[in-house]
Amino acid sequence: MDTEKPAVMAEVFSILKDIPQDRSQLLVALWLVFEHYQRFRPEIVDAVSQYMNIPYAEVYGVTSFYALFHNPDGKNPLHVCTDVMCALQGADDLVKKLQALTQRSTVCVKECPCLGQCDAAPAAFFGKQVLRRATPDLIAQAIRGEDHA
Amino acid sequence: MREVRRLLPPLDIISAPTSMQRLKDRGFSRAMERVLGMDPRDIIAEVKASGIKGRGGAAFPTGFKWESVYEAPGGNRYVVMNADESELGTFKDRALLEYDPLGPLVGMLIAAHAVGAKKAYCYIRGEYRPIERQMVNALQTLADCGWVGPHAVEVEVRRGAGAYIAGEETALLNSIEGKRAEPRVKPPFPTSKGLWGDPTLIQNVETLANVTLLFAHDVEWFRQCGSPQTPGTKLVSLSGHVKNPGVYEVPFGFPMADIIADPELGGGITGSGRLRAILLGGAAGTFLSPDQISATVLDYGSLGTFDASIGSGAIMVFDDSVDLSWVLRKLAHFFADESCGQCVPCRIGTRRIVEMLAQGGLYSRVQDLRDLAQAMRDASICGLGQTAPTALLSILDRPNWQGA
Ligand SMILES: Cc1cc2nc3c(=O)[nH]c(=O)nc-3n(C[C@H](O)[C@H](O)[C@H](O)COP(=O)(O)O)c2cc1C
Ligand code: SF4
Ligand code: FES
Repeated sequence: MDTEKPAVMAEVFSILKDIPQDRSQLLVALWLVFEHYQRFRPEIVDAVSQYMNIPYAEVYGVTSFYALFHNPDGKNPLHVCTDVMCALQGADDLVKKLQALTQRSTVCVKECPCLGQCDAAPAAFFGKQVLRRATPDLIAQAIRGEDHA
Repeated sequence: MREVRRLLPPLDIISAPTSMQRLKDRGFSRAMERVLGMDPRDIIAEVKASGIKGRGGAAFPTGFKWESVYEAPGGNRYVVMNADESELGTFKDRALLEYDPLGPLVGMLIAAHAVGAKKAYCYIRGEYRPIERQMVNALQTLADCGWVGPHAVEVEVRRGAGAYIAGEETALLNSIEGKRAEPRVKPPFPTSKGLWGDPTLIQNVETLANVTLLFAHDVEWFRQCGSPQTPGTKLVSLSGHVKNPGVYEVPFGFPMADIIADPELGGGITGSGRLRAILLGGAAGTFLSPDQISATVLDYGSLGTFDASIGSGAIMVFDDSVDLSWVLRKLAHFFADESCGQCVPCRIGTRRIVEMLAQGGLYSRVQDLRDLAQAMRDASICGLGQTAPTALLSILDRPNWQGA
């Protein structure tokens, strides 16, 4: 960890090099960093804090506020909506199937509230892709596509 | 009666949604050019005369809000388009931004011109990545026209990161400022003290699309649709046990039952084929029974007789196999998860509702639930805590209603 820390610092600084050191750019900065690491480990939060010149506790406070940034194991999150309208269309069953399929993979299944796709329930969200009328097949396809991208 | 397409583009339109040609085809460039030649006070007077009300849930008269921002003392002014759309059962802003993104974006520029803002933000939920791309492309077209940029209005797209509460207007401001998206105490209202303490206008996507239509035409045209109290059309997000779920545009005053049953709209009930209820307006909406649905039209006055409101325009349809107390338990969990935890009545209240519903079913502790709901309404800082018990109360208020 001690040898990793300066490396993370340099990497985060290079990811953020075009971002102005301005508090109102924090969420923008956090998105860039999250898309690279898929999680916020303490040394990553520390590097963002140093680059943006915002206290660690403040940066941590913001990262911990947003659900999409909560991803402690750093696997690629597959968000499956299990809210009311998707639950009516078998979302709970879909989650079980996906959990079985993604065991020991780089993907982790997360249940989430309404994705704004209730007209094509059940819905899921992976990377930058929205999956409507989601089935295990459709999702597997999307995951493979995203990996090659 | 059938659908009226004003906010939604005609079905046979061929220009690309983000193209220069689309700006012309839809009259949006005409709207923008007309506004650029107008005095801000005349623009605001026209919005007031149109009777446009906010489409994000609260139905506040739009022209009056613009006037407050215009008249507020302060140096910089900002406009924010609220595309955070995370309300349960709601997807009409997504549809609008997908099919015709230039409409709401031009509305945002018109608003900036009217209130004197040089900077605008489009705040879009982090789960709408394909729509965000569409929005960025549309903004490029507007920059090519010279309407967006350092010499006109600078626009920044802000991506949310999964927080329902961030859609509340003051939480949204904190999110843009790089803080936790916790609501602020009102007053002061954003119209006088918004982003960095300066006057800020926050409008929903659909509201801004209405503004563009208004200026592409005029007040008389705008008021030809809808009711005298609520002119114009409304986008509804129809989901659940209906044949054709989707986004539909209907004039205010449209019969509720027809939205669900008309073959060109919802197309009737699926599932068991027997309607139990709709949940109107989102997670903090109101349940309506089949009798009530038959007795109402889509307008604030009519729905008000059953203490219901249009909210975000979500219409969630449940057949009679759905146990409404299951729906209530899901809603209760949602609010407990999404409460930002800043104030006690909401933080504790949302959890207590979860526990009470889990323990004894809906009718075992009616008075306790009512007392709790009252405390949450009276003492929560923001709309989330104030309205979290609304759907529950709408069922408690009808003790003889089979289904929960
Ligand atoms: C918990 C909560 C969430 C909200 N989410 C949204 C939202 O996602 N989109 C939106 O336009 N308004 C949302 N609102 C309403 C906004 O606070 C605000 O009233 C609205 O954006 C104003 O725009 P309008 O006047 O054009 O409707 C929310 C309100 C609350 C209390
Ligand atoms: S009412 Fe709830 S969501 Fe709103 S500020 Fe209070 S705790 Fe946060
Ligand atoms: S409930 Fe799943 S997308 Fe809306």
